[in-house]
Amino acid sequence: MIAEKGLWNRLRTRLLFTGPTLFAFITVMMIPFFYGIYLTFTNWDGIAITHSLVGFQNYVAVFKDEAFWKSFYLTLKYVFFTVVLINAVAFLLAYALMNKLRGQTLFRAGFFLPNLVGGIVLGFIWQFIFSNVLVYIGQKGSIPWLSASWLADPDKAFWSLVLVTVWQYAGYMMVIYIAGLMNVPKDILEASSIDGASRWTQLRKMVLPLMVPSFIVCVFLSLQRGFMVYDVNLSLTKGGPFKSTEMVSMHVYGKAFLSRDYGVGQAEALVLFLLVATITLLQVYFSKKMEVEA
Amino acid sequence: MKRTKAFQVLILSLLVVMIVSACSSSSEPSSTESSNPSSGVKITFLNSKGEILPQLEEAAKAFHEENPDITLEIIPVSAGQSPFERASALYAAGNPTTITMLDTADVEKFKDRVLDLNGEKWMADSVAKSTDLTTFDGKNYAFPLAIEGYGFIYNKAVVDQAVGGTFDPSSIKTTNDLENLFKQIEASGKAPLIISPMDWSLGAHYLPLAYANQSPDSAEVNKFVDGLRAGTVDLSGNKVFNGLIDTLDVMTKYNIDKASPLSGTYERGPELLGKGEVGVWFMGNWAWPQISAFDTANGQYAFLPVPISNNAEDFGNTQISSAVSKRLVIDKERSTPEQQAAAKKFLEWMVYSEKGHDFLVNKANIIPAFKNITLEAKDPLAKSIQEYISSGKTSESMSLLPADHWAKTGSSMQKYLAKAGDRATLAKEIQDYWKSVK
Repeated sequence: MIAEKGLWNRLRTRLLFTGPTLFAFITVMMIPFFYGIYLTFTNWDGIAITHSLVGFQNYVAVFKDEAFWKSFYLTLKYVFFTVVLINAVAFLLAYALMNKLRGQTLFRAGFFLPNLVGGIVLGFIWQFIFSNVLVYIGQKGSIPWLSASWLADPDKAFWSLVLVTVWQYAGYMMVIYIAGLMNVPKDILEASSIDGASRWTQLRKMVLPLMVPSFIVCVFLSLQRGFMVYDVNLSLTKGGPFKSTEMVSMHVYGKAFLSRDYGVGQAEALVLFLLVATITLLQVYFSKKMEVEA
Repeated sequence: MKRTKAFQVLILSLLVVMIVSACSSSSEPSSTESSNPSSGVKITFLNSKGEILPQLEEAAKAFHEENPDITLEIIPVSAGQSPFERASALYAAGNPTTITMLDTADVEKFKDRVLDLNGEKWMADSVAKSTDLTTFDGKNYAFPLAIEGYGFIYNKAVVDQAVGGTFDPSSIKTTNDLENLFKQIEASGKAPLIISPMDWSLGAHYLPLAYANQSPDSAEVNKFVDGLRAGTVDLSGNKVFNGLIDTLDVMTKYNIDKASPLSGTYERGPELLGKGEVGVWFMGNWAWPQISAFDTANGQYAFLPVPISNNAEDFGNTQISSAVSKRLVIDKERSTPEQQAAAKKFLEWMVYSEKGHDFLVNKANIIPAFKNITLEAKDPLAKSIQEYISSGKTSESMSLLPADHWAKTGSSMQKYLAKAGDRATLAKEIQDYWKSVK
């Protein structure tokens, strides 16, 4: 089909196959994105019929907004811990489930299940667990670190968020790691065991290097999800207690819709986009260099 | 070959049609719903008073029975979301509801997009001042739906037992009186009170008492708020503010959740109060449906003011806070004239029909802002507020605070409540907030 002659014929074929997707992409991704950039130069409040251009004032406001940078710093901390923990847990689960274990299909399904629950619902479930179930257990069993709700303490609330996120995504990443592990050629492992390599050496020298593509994907996904976290943040802690767990997405949303400062909120969203895009691209670029061939 | 070509042309033209029809002039209201004679007019209602959702749905049915050509669909605002957020999102999507329930301060933002309701019949019957805050350039844009009030709600069974007789609410005139009551409740073996630590309760209800109780004269209150904006008010030296926080200190001391003051949820409040495990809860009359679900005091609940000093004569010590809190506006951008007329009819139905009165007062426990509705409230909290209003013992709730006031100052209040910041920090954070407001 691609070999069709004539510009019109080719264009028509292309349009036939890519047209609908292209149309959707342009209307729901590109136009809002560029319109959003335009809005960062206005003083729109989110509802008024008129707005006027204010130049770079909103960007100046972003750099002056301490709460934004505080929540960005908090998000970095959250991303660091979730990325490390999600991938560590996911890899260990995958590695354990690759060995001939009874009922491994059941375990795989079980670990994957949290990922099927929507973030909002999941947050509410865990909110109930943290502020009722665990407190009840703590009080009945006189366990001091459980007897008050974790969500009422800034540090513990942060770790609750990390915990729930790891629980939610580890199963998903596990599936990717299982696929990666399956692709590690059996023959080189057999050859190495004949040569007397221990399982630990096999893991370190062969499995891990060959798994780099999976790590790239999983770290990328968990990085991006960590930066964009909103649903769990909203339903689990609502940014509380006293805004100490307000992640950057939530701050941006609040700025645009709660403080009715759409221009500044949109500018913050754009700054966030640039920062996250830079970080994830750097991650992919540098980890690509670690890939090896079997 | 011919056939494939014809097929391609067909697919392409289908795509074009789909695209064009999807983009068709969106300023035209969709005519499919409104002009279909068999289904009549369909109007939508955005409800931001979550606690009356089932009652409102019932009212929509009752209204439909009397006006078979009008169907009213109720759309809820999810818990914790502000009506402004939801309504502005719906407007941005080009899909606003016909009737939108907004908070008082939001109406001005929407005034270019909603109908001027000055000519409506109910304007003449609305209670004094109830439409002042939604009137701009002589045009009133909103229907005053409900008067709400808040303060300390007490469970009469618990306090009667604590004082050993019939409790007289007028005996609480100062912070010390309140503390004595708490002591008595504690001595009777119950927990004195519960503080619900939501940011909206602390930031939109409790803290604004410090502004509203500055003076009985609303012009003075406005001057005070302007002073906050300008950064000329020193809260740490303000008598009313300090008195209110002194009361908060007393409350903190007797709070059932004092071990972990921020772990409570809204749902815990009505449960503990209704079951009589605590005597007092700081909340408003909207909580009645939830309290009544746990009621063990035979429906005997009422309000106490929040005292702000130890001088019984001070303004605020015997007043509870009340105001028209929810307003209805009618969209003029996307709604057809028929839909607008139907929406107006629904508003009139609430004010002038028997079923409308029944819905407002008996079912939804709303205190109507209309003089002609004489139906007496069955709900004890609404009754209590009506008594305070009729004896002139109310202070005007702060309805025009900036949109993020509750979230920002509420989190400062939470910090104070959890003892993560002292009073100087609290005063400074509130003052800083006000200086940052545009």
